[in-house]
Amino acid sequence: MIRNWLLPALVGVAVAFAAWQGTLVATPFVLMSAAMKKIGAGVPVNSFRFAAPPTADNQPIVRPSPDLVYASCVFDVSNGPVTVDVEPVPGHYWSVSIFDARTDVAKVISVRDNGDKPARLLLHHVDFQVELTPGYEHVPLKYSNGIALIRILVPDKSEFAKIDAIRRKSRCKEDQPN
Amino acid sequence: MKPWLRYAICILLGMGGGTAYAVHQVRSGFDDKQVRNEQFEQWSANIDQGTVSASALTRAKVALNGLLALPAKEAMYFVTRTDMDGAPLNGKCTYFVIGPKLPGRWWSITLYKGEGWLVKNPANRWSIAGHTLQTNPPEIGKWMFVVSPHEHEGNWLPTGGADRFDLTLRIYHPSAELLRKPGGAELPFVRKEHCK
Repeated sequence: MIRNWLLPALVGVAVAFAAWQGTLVATPFVLMSAAMKKIGAGVPVNSFRFAAPPTADNQPIVRPSPDLVYASCVFDVSNGPVTVDVEPVPGHYWSVSIFDARTDVAKVISVRDNGDKPARLLLHHVDFQVELTPGYEHVPLKYSNGIALIRILVPDKSEFAKIDAIRRKSRCKEDQPN
Repeated sequence: MKPWLRYAICILLGMGGGTAYAVHQVRSGFDDKQVRNEQFEQWSANIDQGTVSASALTRAKVALNGLLALPAKEAMYFVTRTDMDGAPLNGKCTYFVIGPKLPGRWWSITLYKGEGWLVKNPANRWSIAGHTLQTNPPEIGKWMFVVSPHEHEGNWLPTGGADRFDLTLRIYHPSAELLRKPGGAELPFVRKEHCK
């Protein structure tokens, strides 16, 4: 009787291990995909959405910081490179981070790196041959989709209008070959 | 019982069990590979989030509890779900949060409920930023604010009456010393005053 169940039980254990690992590996992709759908709703792919400051009634993703304002671009580099140009806000903390579909951070540039100079990134798939673009830092990506996220510190709510006007100069768009 | 039925039962049990265990692990808190603060063990931080070296479990937990979190060299996130005595933070209680100058470019403490959602409250206030606090008295070098469901004068972070909540301390551009030894940082403590 026990012998009859031994091999099926071993197969069951192997399947359990595969299901356990498969679920852990799939979770970031699934949650990132859901976030991209939510953040990108109503905004074209490869363009920034300039979100209102986070509040209890406005929190598209988990654990937003109410001290920051965000701008997010759901990008897709499957058809070619995408450029991300970020306008700095002088005297304030700002950063742009590139998250791939697995939630890994491919690149972060912040005020510590650039000061008051703009950040210019060219996102492309690792398999895509890209010519060097002067002034742009290349960011090779293992996955075609992801999110470019700008964070800007708003130390005082009265500064929001000024900061908002500056952040709206940032651009995310498909790279147009000359 | 036919052999194929035995295999089918074991495979189904394996699939269900493996998946359920993974979901349980991912949902059971934020403690995978966490660094605990040596002085106040209530605070813990993840130091490899957002990096390719993160384990599958860390990546899954961060995706659920803090999607789009920055890597540690850009920002460190310390989380506590308990007071300094180890009791769960309760939105019907009043706490004092007292701490020193923190080693980074700027910092703030935000109150979340559940997996990390801001709580509705009449003051529309969800965080306290370091630059808004004054050390008092200056020679001691400590700042203080109140976490409470009831309005307080001065620096007050409302709980909104949430049953359970956590406090997340963000330190942007942490110092080299903090990055090197996050467990040894001098962090704030959360002291319960009373509950109603």
